[in-house]
Amino acid sequence: MIGLDQYLLLSGGIFFIGIIGIMTSRSALKVLLSLELLLAASNIVFVAFSRFNGDYAGQLIVFFVILVAAAEVAVGLAIIVLMYRHFSTVQADELKDLKW
Amino acid sequence: MSSIIFYLFAGVLIFASLAVVLARNPLYNVLALVVAIFAMSSLFVLLEAFFVGMILLLVYAGAVLVFFIFVVMCLNLQSDTTILLRQDRFKLMGWLIGILFLLEFFWVIKSTLAAQTIETSSVHGSIENIGRILFTDYLLPFELTSFLLLIAIFGIVSLAQGAFKTGKEGNS
Repeated sequence: MIGLDQYLLLSGGIFFIGIIGIMTSRSALKVLLSLELLLAASNIVFVAFSRFNGDYAGQLIVFFVILVAAAEVAVGLAIIVLMYRHFSTVQADELKDLKW
Repeated sequence: MSSIIFYLFAGVLIFASLAVVLARNPLYNVLALVVAIFAMSSLFVLLEAFFVGMILLLVYAGAVLVFFIFVVMCLNLQSDTTILLRQDRFKLMGWLIGILFLLEFFWVIKSTLAAQTIETSSVHGSIENIGRILFTDYLLPFELTSFLLLIAIFGIVSLAQGAFKTGKEGNS
Protein backbone atom coordinates (compact mmCIF):
# COMPACT_ATOMS: atom_id res chain seq x y z
CA MET A 1 0.00 0.00 0.00
CA ILE A 2 1.22 3.48 -0.86
CA GLY A 3 1.34 5.86 2.08
CA LEU A 4 2.43 9.41 2.69
CA ASP A 5 6.10 8.42 2.88
CA GLN A 6 6.35 7.38 -0.76
CA TYR A 7 4.83 10.64 -1.96
CA LEU A 8 7.18 12.67 0.24
CA LEU A 9 10.18 10.71 -1.02
CA LEU A 10 9.09 11.23 -4.64
CA SER A 11 8.60 14.93 -4.05
CA GLY A 12 12.00 15.22 -2.39
CA GLY A 13 13.58 13.52 -5.37
CA ILE A 14 11.92 15.89 -7.84
CA PHE A 15 12.94 18.88 -5.71
CA PHE A 16 16.53 17.62 -5.61
CA ILE A 17 16.61 17.23 -9.40
CA GLY A 18 15.23 20.75 -9.79
CA ILE A 19 17.84 22.23 -7.43
CA ILE A 20 20.60 20.44 -9.36
CA GLY A 21 19.15 21.84 -12.58
CA ILE A 22 19.14 25.40 -11.27
CA MET A 23 22.72 25.07 -9.98
CA THR A 24 24.25 23.48 -13.06
CA SER A 25 22.44 24.90 -16.06
CA ARG A 26 23.78 28.01 -17.73
CA SER A 27 20.82 28.71 -19.99
CA ALA A 28 18.22 31.02 -18.41
CA LEU A 29 15.46 29.01 -20.08
CA LYS A 30 16.63 25.84 -18.36
CA VAL A 31 16.72 27.64 -15.01
CA LEU A 32 13.06 28.62 -15.49
CA LEU A 33 12.18 25.01 -16.38
CA SER A 34 13.95 23.75 -13.25
CA LEU A 35 11.99 26.30 -11.20
CA GLU A 36 8.84 24.70 -12.60
CA LEU A 37 10.13 21.36 -11.30
CA LEU A 38 10.51 22.84 -7.79
CA LEU A 39 6.91 24.11 -7.90
CA ALA A 40 5.74 20.69 -9.11
CA ALA A 41 7.50 18.95 -6.21
CA SER A 42 5.81 21.24 -3.67
CA ASN A 43 2.45 20.63 -5.37
CA ILE A 44 2.84 16.88 -4.86
CA VAL A 45 3.45 17.42 -1.13
CA PHE A 46 0.39 19.65 -0.79
CA VAL A 47 -1.93 17.20 -2.55
CA ALA A 48 -0.53 14.22 -0.64
CA PHE A 49 -1.07 15.91 2.74
CA SER A 50 -4.53 17.03 1.65
CA ARG A 51 -5.43 13.44 0.77
CA PHE A 52 -4.08 11.82 3.92
CA ASN A 53 -5.46 14.48 6.28
CA GLY A 54 -8.86 14.65 4.57
CA ASP A 55 -8.60 18.44 4.20
CA TYR A 56 -9.27 20.25 0.92
CA ALA A 57 -7.14 23.29 1.76
CA GLY A 58 -4.00 21.68 0.34
CA GLN A 59 -5.61 21.23 -3.07
CA LEU A 60 -6.64 24.90 -3.04
CA ILE A 61 -3.05 25.92 -2.34
CA VAL A 62 -2.01 23.89 -5.39
CA PHE A 63 -4.62 25.79 -7.42
CA PHE A 64 -3.09 29.10 -6.29
CA VAL A 65 0.44 27.84 -6.94
CA ILE A 66 -0.53 26.99 -10.52
CA LEU A 67 -1.95 30.49 -11.06
CA VAL A 68 1.12 32.19 -9.60
CA ALA A 69 3.40 29.96 -11.66
CA ALA A 70 1.55 30.98 -14.82
CA ALA A 71 2.18 34.65 -14.03
CA GLU A 72 5.80 33.95 -13.13
CA VAL A 73 6.44 32.07 -16.38
CA ALA A 74 4.86 34.84 -18.46
CA VAL A 75 7.08 37.53 -16.92
CA GLY A 76 10.17 35.30 -16.93
CA LEU A 77 9.81 34.38 -20.59
CA ALA A 78 9.24 38.05 -21.50
CA ILE A 79 12.52 38.90 -19.76
CA ILE A 80 14.29 36.04 -21.57
CA VAL A 81 13.02 37.24 -24.95
CA LEU A 82 14.22 40.76 -24.15
CA MET A 83 17.57 39.35 -23.04
CA TYR A 84 17.90 37.45 -26.32
CA ARG A 85 17.08 40.56 -28.33
CA HIS A 86 19.59 42.66 -26.44
CA PHE A 87 22.50 40.24 -26.02
CA SER A 88 21.65 37.65 -28.72
CA THR A 89 22.08 34.86 -26.17
CA VAL A 90 20.17 33.23 -23.33
CA GLN A 91 23.25 32.05 -21.42
CA ALA A 92 23.14 33.59 -17.97
CA ASP A 93 26.97 33.68 -17.80
CA GLU A 94 27.14 36.14 -20.66
CA LEU A 95 25.35 38.84 -18.68
CA LYS A 96 28.42 40.55 -17.28
CA ASP A 97 27.54 44.17 -17.96
CA LEU A 98 26.11 46.26 -15.16
CA LYS A 99 24.83 48.90 -17.57
CA TRP A 100 22.82 48.27 -20.75
CA MET B 1 -2.96 -2.40 -8.24
CA SER B 2 -2.77 1.18 -7.02
CA SER B 3 0.83 0.72 -5.88
CA ILE B 4 1.78 -0.57 -9.35
CA ILE B 5 0.23 2.55 -10.91
CA PHE B 6 2.00 4.76 -8.38
CA TYR B 7 5.43 3.27 -9.10
CA LEU B 8 4.82 3.43 -12.85
CA PHE B 9 3.95 7.13 -12.85
CA ALA B 10 6.57 7.97 -10.21
CA GLY B 11 9.19 6.37 -12.44
CA VAL B 12 7.96 8.31 -15.46
CA LEU B 13 8.02 11.51 -13.38
CA ILE B 14 11.59 10.93 -12.16
CA PHE B 15 12.88 10.09 -15.63
CA ALA B 16 11.11 13.04 -17.22
CA SER B 17 12.52 15.43 -14.59
CA LEU B 18 16.00 14.04 -15.19
CA ALA B 19 15.46 14.66 -18.90
CA VAL B 20 14.39 18.24 -18.13
CA VAL B 21 17.73 18.86 -16.47
CA LEU B 22 20.04 16.69 -18.55
CA ALA B 23 18.83 16.90 -22.18
CA ARG B 24 21.00 19.04 -24.42
CA ASN B 25 18.31 20.32 -26.76
CA PRO B 26 16.12 23.09 -25.25
CA LEU B 27 13.05 21.80 -27.05
CA TYR B 28 13.50 18.36 -25.48
CA ASN B 29 13.75 19.99 -22.03
CA VAL B 30 10.34 21.59 -22.47
CA LEU B 31 8.76 18.43 -23.94
CA ALA B 32 10.16 16.37 -21.04
CA LEU B 33 8.50 18.80 -18.65
CA VAL B 34 5.20 18.19 -20.50
CA VAL B 35 5.64 14.46 -19.86
CA ALA B 36 6.45 15.17 -16.20
CA ILE B 37 3.29 17.28 -15.85
CA PHE B 38 1.21 14.46 -17.35
CA ALA B 39 2.68 11.95 -14.88
CA MET B 40 2.09 14.35 -12.00
CA SER B 41 -1.51 14.83 -13.05
CA SER B 42 -2.04 11.08 -13.01
CA LEU B 43 -0.55 10.96 -9.50
CA PHE B 44 -3.05 13.65 -8.47
CA VAL B 45 -5.91 11.56 -9.85
CA LEU B 46 -4.52 8.62 -7.87
CA LEU B 47 -4.70 10.88 -4.78
CA GLU B 48 -8.37 11.63 -5.64
CA ALA B 49 -7.60 15.29 -6.42
CA PHE B 50 -9.48 15.23 -9.73
CA PHE B 51 -10.10 18.95 -10.13
CA VAL B 52 -6.51 19.99 -9.41
CA GLY B 53 -5.21 17.29 -11.73
CA MET B 54 -7.36 18.55 -14.58
CA ILE B 55 -6.40 22.19 -13.91
CA LEU B 56 -2.75 21.14 -13.93
CA LEU B 57 -3.19 19.54 -17.36
CA LEU B 58 -5.14 22.45 -18.81
CA VAL B 59 -3.11 25.35 -17.43
CA TYR B 60 0.36 23.83 -17.24
CA ALA B 61 0.59 21.39 -20.13
CA GLY B 62 -1.95 23.28 -22.20
CA ALA B 63 -0.96 26.91 -21.77
CA VAL B 64 2.30 27.46 -19.88
CA LEU B 65 4.42 24.83 -21.59
CA VAL B 66 3.06 25.64 -25.03
CA PHE B 67 4.18 29.19 -24.28
CA PHE B 68 7.61 27.79 -23.41
CA ILE B 69 7.76 25.88 -26.69
CA PHE B 70 6.65 29.00 -28.54
CA VAL B 71 9.51 31.02 -27.03
CA VAL B 72 12.07 28.27 -27.72
CA MET B 73 10.94 28.08 -31.34
CA CYS B 74 10.93 31.88 -31.57
CA LEU B 75 14.49 32.24 -30.26
CA ASN B 76 15.60 29.46 -32.64
CA LEU B 77 18.40 28.29 -30.35
CA GLN B 78 19.15 25.20 -32.42
CA SER B 79 17.95 24.91 -35.96
CA ASP B 80 18.14 21.10 -36.24
CA THR B 81 15.32 20.36 -33.78
CA THR B 82 12.61 19.99 -36.43
CA ILE B 83 14.70 17.44 -38.26
CA LEU B 84 15.18 15.44 -35.05
CA LEU B 85 11.45 15.47 -34.31
CA ARG B 86 10.68 13.95 -37.71
CA GLN B 87 12.45 10.67 -36.94
CA ASP B 88 10.63 7.34 -37.02
CA ARG B 89 11.06 6.31 -33.38
CA PHE B 90 8.76 9.16 -32.36
CA LYS B 91 6.19 8.01 -34.89
CA LEU B 92 6.11 4.50 -33.43
CA MET B 93 5.81 5.83 -29.89
CA GLY B 94 3.02 8.18 -30.95
CA TRP B 95 1.04 5.35 -32.54
CA LEU B 96 1.48 3.18 -29.42
CA ILE B 97 0.28 5.91 -27.07
CA GLY B 98 -2.60 6.80 -29.38
CA ILE B 99 -3.85 3.21 -29.57
CA LEU B 100 -3.52 2.93 -25.79
CA PHE B 101 -5.65 6.05 -25.34
CA LEU B 102 -8.25 4.75 -27.80
CA LEU B 103 -8.57 1.43 -25.91
CA GLU B 104 -8.82 3.29 -22.62
CA PHE B 105 -11.52 5.54 -24.06
CA PHE B 106 -13.66 2.58 -25.12
CA TRP B 107 -13.11 0.90 -21.75
CA VAL B 108 -14.22 4.04 -19.89
CA ILE B 109 -17.37 4.38 -22.02
CA LYS B 110 -18.22 0.72 -21.46
CA SER B 111 -17.77 0.96 -17.69
CA THR B 112 -19.69 4.27 -17.48
CA LEU B 113 -22.71 2.77 -19.22
CA ALA B 114 -22.69 -0.12 -16.77
CA ALA B 115 -22.19 1.94 -13.60
CA GLN B 116 -24.95 3.52 -11.56
CA THR B 117 -24.94 7.24 -10.66
CA ILE B 118 -22.91 8.39 -7.65
CA GLU B 119 -23.12 11.52 -5.52
CA THR B 120 -20.45 14.03 -6.59
CA SER B 121 -20.24 15.55 -3.11
CA SER B 122 -19.03 12.22 -1.74
CA VAL B 123 -16.02 12.24 -4.09
CA HIS B 124 -12.98 13.62 -2.33
CA GLY B 125 -11.54 16.17 -4.75
CA SER B 126 -14.55 16.93 -6.93
CA ILE B 127 -15.26 20.38 -8.36
CA GLU B 128 -18.24 20.76 -6.04
CA ASN B 129 -16.20 20.36 -2.86
CA ILE B 130 -13.27 22.43 -4.06
CA GLY B 131 -15.50 25.19 -5.41
CA ARG B 132 -17.50 25.41 -2.20
CA ILE B 133 -14.42 25.92 -0.04
CA LEU B 134 -12.81 28.20 -2.65
CA PHE B 135 -15.69 30.68 -2.70
CA THR B 136 -16.32 30.74 1.04
CA ASP B 137 -13.19 30.38 3.17
CA TYR B 138 -10.62 31.26 0.52
CA LEU B 139 -12.45 34.03 -1.32
CA LEU B 140 -9.94 36.77 -0.45
CA PRO B 141 -6.84 34.88 -1.71
CA PHE B 142 -8.79 34.03 -4.86
CA GLU B 143 -9.55 37.69 -5.56
CA LEU B 144 -5.96 38.66 -4.73
CA THR B 145 -4.81 36.14 -7.35
CA SER B 146 -6.74 38.01 -10.02
CA PHE B 147 -4.99 41.19 -8.87
CA LEU B 148 -1.62 39.41 -9.20
CA LEU B 149 -2.46 38.34 -12.75
CA LEU B 150 -3.39 41.94 -13.56
CA ILE B 151 -0.02 43.14 -12.26
CA ALA B 152 1.72 40.46 -14.35
CA ILE B 153 -0.11 41.70 -17.46
CA PHE B 154 1.00 45.28 -16.70
CA GLY B 155 4.59 44.12 -16.26
CA ILE B 156 4.66 42.22 -19.54
CA VAL B 157 3.07 45.09 -21.47
CA SER B 158 5.58 47.57 -20.09
CA LEU B 159 8.47 45.19 -20.89
CA ALA B 160 7.19 44.73 -24.44
CA GLN B 161 6.75 48.46 -24.88
CA GLY B 162 10.34 49.12 -23.82
CA ALA B 163 11.56 46.49 -26.29
CA PHE B 164 9.53 48.09 -29.07
CA LYS B 165 10.98 51.52 -28.34
CA THR B 166 14.60 50.34 -28.19
CA GLY B 167 14.06 48.35 -31.37
CA LYS B 168 12.82 51.45 -33.16
CA GLU B 169 15.77 53.49 -31.90
CA GLY B 170 18.12 50.78 -33.13
CA ASN B 171 16.59 50.88 -36.60
CA SER B 172 16.58 54.65 -36.99
